[in-house]
This record gives sequence, structure tokens and C-alpha cells, in this order.
Amino acid sequence: MNPWEESLREALRRKVAPEGFADRVLARIRGLPVREKRPWFRAFLARPALRWAAAVLCLAIAGSVAYREQQQRQRRQGEIARMQVKQALRIASVKLNAARRMVQQVNQGTVQNRL
Amino acid sequence: MTTPTLDRCEEALGRLARGDMSAFEELVKEHQSMVFSITYHYLHDRSLAEDAAQDVFLRLYQNLASIVSSKHLVFWLRKVACQRALDMARRLPKAPPVSLEDINEPAAESADADPLLSEGLRRMVASLPENARAVVILRYQEELELAEIARILDIPLNTVKSRLERSLGILREKLGRWSGGFAR
Repeated sequence: MNPWEESLREALRRKVAPEGFADRVLARIRGLPVREKRPWFRAFLARPALRWAAAVLCLAIAGSVAYREQQQRQRRQGEIARMQVKQALRIASVKLNAARRMVQQVNQGTVQNRL
Repeated sequence: MTTPTLDRCEEALGRLARGDMSAFEELVKEHQSMVFSITYHYLHDRSLAEDAAQDVFLRLYQNLASIVSSKHLVFWLRKVACQRALDMARRLPKAPPVSLEDINEPAAESADADPLLSEGLRRMVASLPENARAVVILRYQEELELAEIARILDIPLNTVKSRLERSLGILREKLGRWSGGFAR
């Protein structure tokens, strides 16, 4: 190193850090915002591919629930219709029996009158 | 850096890894002079240099997990100090050219052999092109080999050589004009 470079080395000698430097660094560290721990699902949804997958899954679940609801509604309506048909048949049966009895009574009366 | 210092740092890093945060304060105190001096010689402003040096240690705190040894710590601190000083320098308005009138009377208790010359040189270094400044500081403050400077600044060795030569040329010329041939 020539004398000129020696002067440069002398000029750029390490400086003493300002008084209380470390304390100020530590104070700033204590003031650092603590990195908030994100709930697992937010970390999960942070990735676009997983976000799409979650959206598709939600749609599939919603579709499946709606389909099952519709099936159950149809089944209930079928059940009501079946009961209504049975009721109608029962009523018709009662009416037919009554009519048959009346016809029999009428027939018996006619025969007695002839005799 | 001396072996006892490296041993102390190694021991502090070990304690930090075990969760002893008081070891971080020791590391700051051990390296604050080096980091502050890099940023100060880069920016030539004590207040800005302190801000930049504090930022370096804050980043160290956030990246402690990536530090594998005391040598790596020193390398990392030098690298980040240069980067931080460069970032800060780029945000500052361009400094006017250095003239003799700009240089204040040196303090009586200055430890420099020639305080006026040292202050002049520091100002001239701080007025070098931003990319070249770090090379000069790492070469003459930290007394590093050119290959080590290339590794820290992540540039080819030949670039380090050319930047250093160009910087020394500029400094010699400025100093020559300033002191009327002192450098010759």
C-alpha cells in the first residue's frame, strides 16, 4: 500500500457507533409488529390454485345438497299423492259397497213382490 | 476479524439458536462499529448512517435463522450494510461536488493523523459513483481482498478491479486539485 492509499485507509478507519446505538436497535426490535399468525384456512386460501379448488368443492357440495333436497321434496310429493290415491280408493270402495247393498235390497224387494 | 471475536460470536449465535435473546444484543455491540462505519462512509451523514445501520440489524433479527456461522454473519452484515446504504443514497438528492470550503475545521480531539485530509477524503469517497463507493469502503475500511469484495457485492472480480481503479483515479485527481499536488 502506497502512502496515498495509507491516507485513504486512515480516513476510512472504522468509526465508533453512536452512544446508545444498540439500545435503540433493541428498542426498535421490541416495537416490531409481531407477525400475526394466520389461521390455517387463510394460509390455505392464499394459494390461487387451492382457492379455485376450494371454490369448486363448495359448488359441488352446494349442488349435491340442492339435488338431495329436490329428491326428498319429490319423494314427499309422491308419498302424498299415493296416500291421496289410497284415500280416494277407500272412499270409492265404501261408496261401491253401499251401492251394491242398495242394489241387493232392491233386487230382494222385487223378488218378494213377484212371489 | 480476530479468532476470539469469532468465537464470541459463535457462542452468541449458539445461545440465540437456543432462544436466548440477550445474545442478540451482544452481536449488535460486537458488529455495530463495522456496520455503522460502512453506512457512514457511504452516506457521510451520521443520522442517515445510524438509520441505515439500525435497519441492517433489524433485518438481521428477522433473518437470524439463515445465519449459519460467525463468518457468515460478518459476510451477511457487510453485504446488507452496503445494500442498505446504496438504497438510502439513491433516495437522497444528488450531493454537490466537494470543494475545500465545504470541509469544516476538524475537531481538536480527532484521532486522524491529518484530520483535514481525512475529512476531505471521506467526503470525496462519499461523492464517488454509488456502485464504486462500496468497493472503496470494503477495500480500505474493511481491508478485504478483491475476491471477497466481489463475493459480497455479487459482481465479477474484474468489475471490482475496474471500479477500484476508476475510483482511485477519481480520488487522486480530486485530491490533487484540492491539495495542490499532495497525492502526486
